[in-house]
Amino acid sequence: MSNRREIGRFFRMLLKFIPFIIVAYGILLLGWGNNIPLYFRGNLNYRIESKGHAFTRFKEVKTIGKVDILFLGSSHTYRGFDVRLFQEMGYKVFNLGSSSQTPIQTNILLNRYLDKLRPEIVFYEVNLPDFSSDGVEASLDVIANDWVDWEAIKMAFKINHLKTYNTLFYGYIYEMLGFKAKHDEPLEKLGEKYIKGGYVEKKLTYNKRLDARLRGVILNQDQLEVFESIIAKLKKKKIKFYLVQAPVTTSYYNSLTYAKDFDSLMRTYGNYLNFNEIMHLNDTLDFFDAHHLNQIGVEKFNKELIGRFFNQKRN
Amino acid sequence: MLFNTIDFAIFLPIVFLLYWFATNNNRKVQNILLVLASYVFYGWWDWRFLSLILFSTLVDYTVGLGLQNQNNNRKRKLLLWTSILVNIGFLGFFKYFNFFLDNFIQAFSLFGVQIQGSSLNIILPVGISFYTFQTLSYTIDVYKRKIEPTRDFIAFTAFVSFFPQLVAGPIERASNLLPQFLKERNFKYANAVVGLKQILWGLFKKVVIADNCAYFADIIFSNSEYYSGSTLVLGALFFTFQIYGDFSGYSDIAIGTARLFGFRLMQNFAFPYFSRDIAEFWRRWHISLSTWFRDYLYIPLGGSRGGMLKRIRNTLIIFIVSGFWHCANWTFIVWGALNAIYFLPLLVTRNNRRNIEIVAYNSVFPTFRELGAILLTFILTVFAWIFFRAENISHAMDYISTIFSKSFFDEVSFWGYKYARILYFLIPAFIIVEWIGRKGQFAIEKIGLTWKRPFRWLLYAVIVFLIGILMRTNETPFIYFQF
Repeated sequence: MSNRREIGRFFRMLLKFIPFIIVAYGILLLGWGNNIPLYFRGNLNYRIESKGHAFTRFKEVKTIGKVDILFLGSSHTYRGFDVRLFQEMGYKVFNLGSSSQTPIQTNILLNRYLDKLRPEIVFYEVNLPDFSSDGVEASLDVIANDWVDWEAIKMAFKINHLKTYNTLFYGYIYEMLGFKAKHDEPLEKLGEKYIKGGYVEKKLTYNKRLDARLRGVILNQDQLEVFESIIAKLKKKKIKFYLVQAPVTTSYYNSLTYAKDFDSLMRTYGNYLNFNEIMHLNDTLDFFDAHHLNQIGVEKFNKELIGRFFNQKRN
Repeated sequence: MLFNTIDFAIFLPIVFLLYWFATNNNRKVQNILLVLASYVFYGWWDWRFLSLILFSTLVDYTVGLGLQNQNNNRKRKLLLWTSILVNIGFLGFFKYFNFFLDNFIQAFSLFGVQIQGSSLNIILPVGISFYTFQTLSYTIDVYKRKIEPTRDFIAFTAFVSFFPQLVAGPIERASNLLPQFLKERNFKYANAVVGLKQILWGLFKKVVIADNCAYFADIIFSNSEYYSGSTLVLGALFFTFQIYGDFSGYSDIAIGTARLFGFRLMQNFAFPYFSRDIAEFWRRWHISLSTWFRDYLYIPLGGSRGGMLKRIRNTLIIFIVSGFWHCANWTFIVWGALNAIYFLPLLVTRNNRRNIEIVAYNSVFPTFRELGAILLTFILTVFAWIFFRAENISHAMDYISTIFSKSFFDEVSFWGYKYARILYFLIPAFIIVEWIGRKGQFAIEKIGLTWKRPFRWLLYAVIVFLIGILMRTNETPFIYFQF
């Protein structure tokens, strides 16, 4: 009997202690995130208005309705598909790329916005490094710049990383206290300009990094599973989709082991075009770094893409 | 299974609930559950090596009973040697075979004799050095008639394989732990709360202090040829706190976990970096191993009896064997010998038992004399750790010669330096907490006991928070798992 009484006391204490810890943790997290320099923050990385104008993009997507074309993917997307070139063709488009976006983030964004945007065509930019990523860094970008909801919680559990959990918890408190609502991102910053529709135009510079170390990136099975569910979702909604690999520098592309295997794999999921095999761009003049096109490269790439998919202007 | 993983965070509450709620407090059922849990815990790493533990258990259980029934001294000795040879044989094969083979070949090659032989690809079973010593203590104590052997095979199996301390100690004595498996255990609220506190503090030491120090210590030690002497000093300091946080953190988690099941394990660390001399350091560092060597090697060798020369010889043997116990590498032998060299002047001048009680027991701060003694002991210890961490002797010598070069006065600089600066705050804060709590079994045992509950809980919340925010997210094994 004494045993039962003592155990009961122990569990009663835990029932009070655990909620206490959760509340105290949240308060400490808020104080830490607001006052400690970035490089000391450890497993917390909540950066609103980070590079790539994700905050403005996620703000804009909430204000628009149906589109003709939707672009999905990583920074190769929001820096690689210039919405103006498609708009000139008469299409209503939106670029929903985000930094290092992996299928896990693509999935959450589609769950949030697909029914609202109802695109006729989706261009989904795929690449091996993002498919091999654990998705932690990309999840932080989505949590900080979009909102915390059930989808974000599901994403955190899928990624299962302390940094994602902490950032999610911090983001929830930050939003709840109304701090996030006060943010307003300038359309031009750090040599980059946000173009309505989700594209980011960078001031013209040229790539100087011509060497790339061999990177043994290996496909992450979790990412592949989520990717398959995205494809199933698009098919179920009868949305036409194209899987596209945007151009990167030849040295960078050649540094990726298993790139050919990735091509073979992607072809099994639908229409797939690897523009690294189609186009021959200049590693210095058409890029601003090893894997991002500059504006000259973007225009060449987009014209090639338009030429392949859109024969004429839309009325 | 590692203590610092989600697997263990799920495993422990399940075993805890089953232990207290599904066994009807029946000692035998609880022991069976502990054996199963321990085998799952160990088998999580590699189930094949469970056969080694089981074999050791069977041999020592049988030897124990044989010793009880045997009065013939020769036959008793034979039984004892059977146990020693089986246990040390396993240890020798898995841990030392390649070391002896390589050195044997090298020694002959010095005389121009070439011997053909290649190292075997042997996997070292985790914890073998710990559980073989634990089970050996049983047969030796039974042989010396210090304890009665047990007929309860399940209790004995639980004693050998008890999961909290199976893979990295504390190396328990049969006289302390085995009787606890033979009597009824009662859940005590106060005991469980202390256990949780000790687990929390141990986890903090491991995942915040040790793992963060390890990250930068590894960078510096792995690239030591590129760094200045001052940077290498910092690297040695990082390793000093890494090894303490890692091993004492493990011990705290083990002792705290055992408390949750109603067991009391021996203290393994008693604030060793506050020692005023090396003799005191060795009474406070890895206590279960030091006392094991004292009881089962030093004393049988003659201990402090006989002349000074014999005492010096015995001390040298103990330290060198202790170094070799850690790992089959000359760096560990040198580390042991170096500690013996530090120790011998105290032994010769009969000052080795001068500092028994923790420093500044009746005051808040140490005297200047005590502070000086602590710093000197600490510096000697840091120096010795360089051998412990280095890849080989020449790496250690190069490391030390760089420290004692002109570059000692250069600016500290290494890859990731900016991120290491958090340790400049963390380590002093850690030292302060350890200093405040130095009279307890572990630093936060008594801190806040007189505070109002919200303030005391806030202290624990801060520790939980620091773990959550500063722990390294990749699972890092405990250093002593490799021994």
